[in-house]
Amino acid sequence: MVSRFPLFVARRAVNAVVTIILMIALIFVIVHIVAPTPEDLAHFYTGRGCISQSFCLQLAHRYGLDQPIYIQFWNYVIGVFQGNLGTDTIYQLPELQVLARFLPITLEMVVVGSVLGVVIGIFTGAIAASNRNTKTDYGIKGLYLMTWAAPPFLAAIVFQLILAYYLNLLPTGNIANLTLTAPPVVTGLPMVDSILAQNWVYLYSYLQHLVLPALTIAVISFGSITRITRASMIDALDKDYVKLAYMKGLPKRSVVYGTAFRNAIIPIITLIAITFAFAVGGALVVEYIFNYHGIGYFTLQAVYAFDYPAVLAITIIIGLSVIIANFIADILYGVMDPRVRLT
Amino acid sequence: MRLWKSRVEKMVDAATAQSATVSSNEAEVPLGESSGASFVLKFLRKDKSALAGMVIIGAFFVFAAVEGVLQVVGGYLRMQYLGWVLLPSNPLEVNFHNSLIAPNLGSLAALLGFDYEGRSILSQILYAAPRDAMAALLVVASAIIIGMLAGISAGYVGGWADEVLMRVTDAFLAFPAIFLAIALAILLGNGYTVVLIALVVVWWPPYARFFRAQTLRERNRGYVEASKLSGISSLRVMSRHIFPNTIDPIIAIASLDLGNVILTYSTLAFLGIGLQIGVPEWGSMTSDGLSYVPGAWWWALFPALAIMLVVVCFSIVGDRIQDLVGGRLSY
Repeated sequence: MVSRFPLFVARRAVNAVVTIILMIALIFVIVHIVAPTPEDLAHFYTGRGCISQSFCLQLAHRYGLDQPIYIQFWNYVIGVFQGNLGTDTIYQLPELQVLARFLPITLEMVVVGSVLGVVIGIFTGAIAASNRNTKTDYGIKGLYLMTWAAPPFLAAIVFQLILAYYLNLLPTGNIANLTLTAPPVVTGLPMVDSILAQNWVYLYSYLQHLVLPALTIAVISFGSITRITRASMIDALDKDYVKLAYMKGLPKRSVVYGTAFRNAIIPIITLIAITFAFAVGGALVVEYIFNYHGIGYFTLQAVYAFDYPAVLAITIIIGLSVIIANFIADILYGVMDPRVRLT
Repeated sequence: MRLWKSRVEKMVDAATAQSATVSSNEAEVPLGESSGASFVLKFLRKDKSALAGMVIIGAFFVFAAVEGVLQVVGGYLRMQYLGWVLLPSNPLEVNFHNSLIAPNLGSLAALLGFDYEGRSILSQILYAAPRDAMAALLVVASAIIIGMLAGISAGYVGGWADEVLMRVTDAFLAFPAIFLAIALAILLGNGYTVVLIALVVVWWPPYARFFRAQTLRERNRGYVEASKLSGISSLRVMSRHIFPNTIDPIIAIASLDLGNVILTYSTLAFLGIGLQIGVPEWGSMTSDGLSYVPGAWWWALFPALAIMLVVVCFSIVGDRIQDLVGGRLSY
């Protein structure tokens, strides 16, 4: 069994790489549909930057955009793997540098939010399953149907209205108090950076500002976890080993949360990666409402400024991070459940 | 964005439903006996929330159809007022006397308050309904058709074609739907049609996977072997024999997904993508109202609540249909 594990990892890794190349191909095809001729392409990659047709052609020649399409594709893939995602037309910097500024901020928020969502989801799901077909179960079902159907901006607005404006408990937006100086950028993650710089005032302000966005992400993403946990727990509670545990005279609490829960948790792991991807999508709206300057803010900035290179770079980076998250989930699944490795 | 959730559901359901749908073949026999109006009535009497959901969805679609026809006809005949004969007030007329009046029971138009330009929120919500309904129907229908063609043929042919389809759908599913839709909508230009195209491009892969999984299960059944042996073309085997046997659970998935399309569509509108100037949209009303929160909370809140109301109904109804088709409920 153990000897098959590297093979399993290798197969998943090959799958992930193939998916990445196909994902890049997808973007490439879209770009070439939108901009079929070399001058269009030059126009496109410079973010509507080249003014006259002759200048466009000159640029196209310089960057190899008039070469056959398969050579362009090869160069494009190599470029992406080398971290060359073009030059941003707003900041006039390489995309990777701009993304390195914005991505960690979103990453931290999304990780905090989706961990919170997963925890809420698992607990509500387990509670619903152990009280199947009671008022609690229906209540939880109603709750997750509501949060599931609500547009992400509704949750954000409601939290902002109640917690920030009416109760005045939390700030309404921004990453941290604007009067404070941010700690020097080391990792890009504000929390880690302020701990490294031992800037506790900034950390406190940052955490205060983090609550609302993270809470919104948690609320919009816990529903699917609840649903799957409930189904998986109900499955597990009907198994013979649970009956055995009851027969041994174990109390209900320890059967539900000790025996059944541990077995039910395995299928949820794959879902966590998907929840993460979904939360990254949700970050777009959340950052817009809470004026949080992460990748979602940058995306919208790029969209409104027709900064095509930035839009492409963001799409590729987001796709990459989701593929990597899925890969990690696959491996974790293999570690947790040896049966999976055999397939 | 919500697409991800439905995809999660679909993937997991496709896995769990393997057993559920097989057992449904037996469970559907008694269901078939009491089929028709009496069965539906019995089901609805028993389940009040599903009934309410059905009624609201029905009302939504009927209203959207009538209102949509009126708007289009009014546009052609240059009688734009036809677009708001059904509404409490003209949703496009600017009247600063009404600017930011809070919701009150004075008149129907004032029920949900007024925006900064003095346009009734209720009228605007109703005026925007046809575009959301049409987006939902068109996107889901096109996604089903594309997914069906790709999924059934890949599942039937198998081998190399199948592997390619799986990897391509993987590549699509790697993006959070909203990011890919934004990238597409912005690359292709802007406008209602472009947003619909972007949504279809994002929407078909889960359906392709669904139909593939269904086909893989049916492919080795006796009746497929029999029809192959009778010498008819594989095109006919796929269209006449496999297709009708894969289609059952699609009603439930489509119903859940109609709501998801509305959510994603209005999220795009919220972010300012695919809007036409001067045409109200649920999402864009919310984002316009955002700068007047908390003073004029009704402007941002009510359009968002309208979205939630419609989508909740789709979820409830889809959920129940899923239970019925999956054979988990028996009435």
